[in-house]
Amino acid sequence: MTRVFHIAVKDFKILIRDKAAFLIMLGMPLVLIFILGSALGGVGESESIDIPVAIVSVDSGEQGDVFADAIADVEELQDVFNLAVRDDLAAVRAEVERGDLTAALVIPEGFTAALEAGEPVQLEVLQDPGSEMTAGIWAGVARAAAANLSAGQIMRITAEGLLAEAGVTPGAVGDQGTGDGQVAFDAVTIEQVEVEQEKQVSMIDYYAAGQTGLFLLFGAMFGAFGFVKERREQTLARVLATPASKTEVVAGKSLGIFAVGAAQFFVLFFGTRYLFGVDWGPTPGGIVLIGLAEVFAATGLAMTLSALGRSERAIGGIGPTVIMLFAALGGAMIPVEMMPSWIVPLQSVTPVYWAMGAFLDLMRGEAFGTALAPFAAIVALGAAMFAFGLWRLKYE
Amino acid sequence: MADIVEVRGLVKRFGELTAVDRVDFTIAEGEMFGLLGPNGAGKTTTISMISCLLEPTEGEITVAGHSIREQQTALKRTLGVVPQEIALYPTLSAAENLAFWGRMYGLSGAKLKSAVEEALELAGLADRSKERVEKYSGGMKRRINIAAGILHKPKVLLMDEPTVGIDPQSRNHILETVKDLNDSGMTVLYTSHYMEEVEYLCDRIAIMDHGRIIAIGTLNELRDVVGGMDVISVSVGEVSEGVLAAVGAINGVKGVNRSEGTMEVLTPGSGSILGKLVATLESEGAHVTSVTVTEPNLESVFLHLTGKSLRD
Ligand SMILES: Nc1ncnc2c1ncn2[C@@H]1O[C@H](COP(=O)(O)OP(=O)(O)OP(=O)(O)O)[C@@H](O)[C@H]1O
Ligand SMILES: [Mg+2]
Repeated sequence: MTRVFHIAVKDFKILIRDKAAFLIMLGMPLVLIFILGSALGGVGESESIDIPVAIVSVDSGEQGDVFADAIADVEELQDVFNLAVRDDLAAVRAEVERGDLTAALVIPEGFTAALEAGEPVQLEVLQDPGSEMTAGIWAGVARAAAANLSAGQIMRITAEGLLAEAGVTPGAVGDQGTGDGQVAFDAVTIEQVEVEQEKQVSMIDYYAAGQTGLFLLFGAMFGAFGFVKERREQTLARVLATPASKTEVVAGKSLGIFAVGAAQFFVLFFGTRYLFGVDWGPTPGGIVLIGLAEVFAATGLAMTLSALGRSERAIGGIGPTVIMLFAALGGAMIPVEMMPSWIVPLQSVTPVYWAMGAFLDLMRGEAFGTALAPFAAIVALGAAMFAFGLWRLKYE
Repeated sequence: MADIVEVRGLVKRFGELTAVDRVDFTIAEGEMFGLLGPNGAGKTTTISMISCLLEPTEGEITVAGHSIREQQTALKRTLGVVPQEIALYPTLSAAENLAFWGRMYGLSGAKLKSAVEEALELAGLADRSKERVEKYSGGMKRRINIAAGILHKPKVLLMDEPTVGIDPQSRNHILETVKDLNDSGMTVLYTSHYMEEVEYLCDRIAIMDHGRIIAIGTLNELRDVVGGMDVISVSVGEVSEGVLAAVGAINGVKGVNRSEGTMEVLTPGSGSILGKLVATLESEGAHVTSVTVTEPNLESVFLHLTGKSLRD
């Protein structure tokens, strides 16, 4: 057993001294996450999107202004919206038409009076036709707020609902129509706002998950390089001429590959988190579980590649092809929802698919338990690749 | 002394090719045994089977009583192997390499540390032990390659052409090291295609060609194979096939071979053919600069048994 450990330590040392491996396994994913993440959705400001909106009260009573101010005071809303309380309806309307404002909530004349009389009130949402989605969210805010005007803390609920809704597709918000949206006060129920508890996964988060899922597999290529190199340079034969058995050699080398992959995973996990502010969600334990499962799959793939390729050249050809195919099919490059349906049955054979799914679910705040099925799938795929490699492996 | 290595009826076939063909030999404990043969003779294949890397097609090997069929781990524990190729990790330092190989043989702690230091001392590289092996010269790599095979003080050391492709200085260092190890009681199987090395080092020698052992014995016993024959070395310029054939046809010539401007002729009586030899050479247009008659060596033995030169 100690031989297994010493072989693993030796391989770990050799791999971390390999500059090419270092660059590809750590440098490339970090650079890609940064570039893709910041090109397609701001780095470091994933929480403050700053959509310009306005609240206008034309109510002659007091409640109109109180309502407007109450909404404007909600901190969570300020994170997302650049929110202004205005009083010139005509000017606001013009700005919405020009697109300077994405949407505006109009509190009508007679708002206070209607509330006091317990009669229905209509709030009007003005929206930029080009920004249906954000305007829809804004309409949701209005609905939620209006549904329970009496309690101040309800604003908080609204705001949380709003943040949840940021992940919702435009259609889900519903009935604001085009152009000026009319929201019937009493026809609104609060559930509509709380439809989905999903948190939005920002671009940088998505790419952190995708590139991590992709680049963890590159450990397989370098692991296989190591095997072929030992075979070619005869150090493998030399180890086998010592009292070490084939089982010990395979176990030691696999453990070395796994250790390097695990180190890579933790660097990517903490690196993306602290350098780029990637939000891996509230269940880091689940992320680590999935990450290490994928490292195991990479170890299995290393065995398969070692068995298939006789030379580094061969593995340098097969390795990246397989890895890229796994990654593309698995949704590490474009989201799986955007792929044609005939691909779906193929996806379950790639560990990246399971890893990506679990990473994104955990990022959206789902519980640890959701990671278990993908974990099992990844481990099973890894074990299959490992077994295949072991079966076909040549030692000389 | 008891035999520590026994090889019986060893055969290895690679498809059509019989790389090792019914080889038998034994090595006594503490002996320095030489395996001499040209390229492709089957030396490495034989060593690979002794060290359990290749499974024999036929035959049996035991080392210190352990059979390669049933007690591989125990057998491998008694061995030290110095492979023909430099089998080291280039991006690890010499000390790291040695420590790794020591650990594979079960060394650890203070024992490992002192073994590594001793091996570095022996290789004459103690002062450069922290450098990566890839930065070493060829000769230095060879020395570490040997050190990695002996640091656990094996009972039996298998050395496969340990001096190939190195400078004379490193070569002498290696030869002296091997002699010291053997003097200290280690049994050594030394493989080479340099007959001078084998003549200098070995107590007993097996000469191998085309997978077979064609002669085996002490140096003197092997010299007796060529009996009272002499070797005539002739320095000539170019030696054509025609010249070679003409000389070979002289009555009383038992073998001819050429190597870089020298022609060696094996004959039972040098006096009777010397005149004829020179005359033949001149008539064939070869320019003779000197003629020496020498005692037979392993080269002559090989020449006598195979009709060809050991090194070509
Ligand atoms: N794995 C193999 N597969 C097929 N043929 C092999 C294999 N290994 C060796 N041979 C062949 O067996 C023969 C003996 O090779 P071997 O390496 O044992 O010779 P050697 O005496 O060590 O030669 P050298 O002095 O060149 O090292 C050669 O003809 C070689 O081509
Ligand atoms: Mg050889």
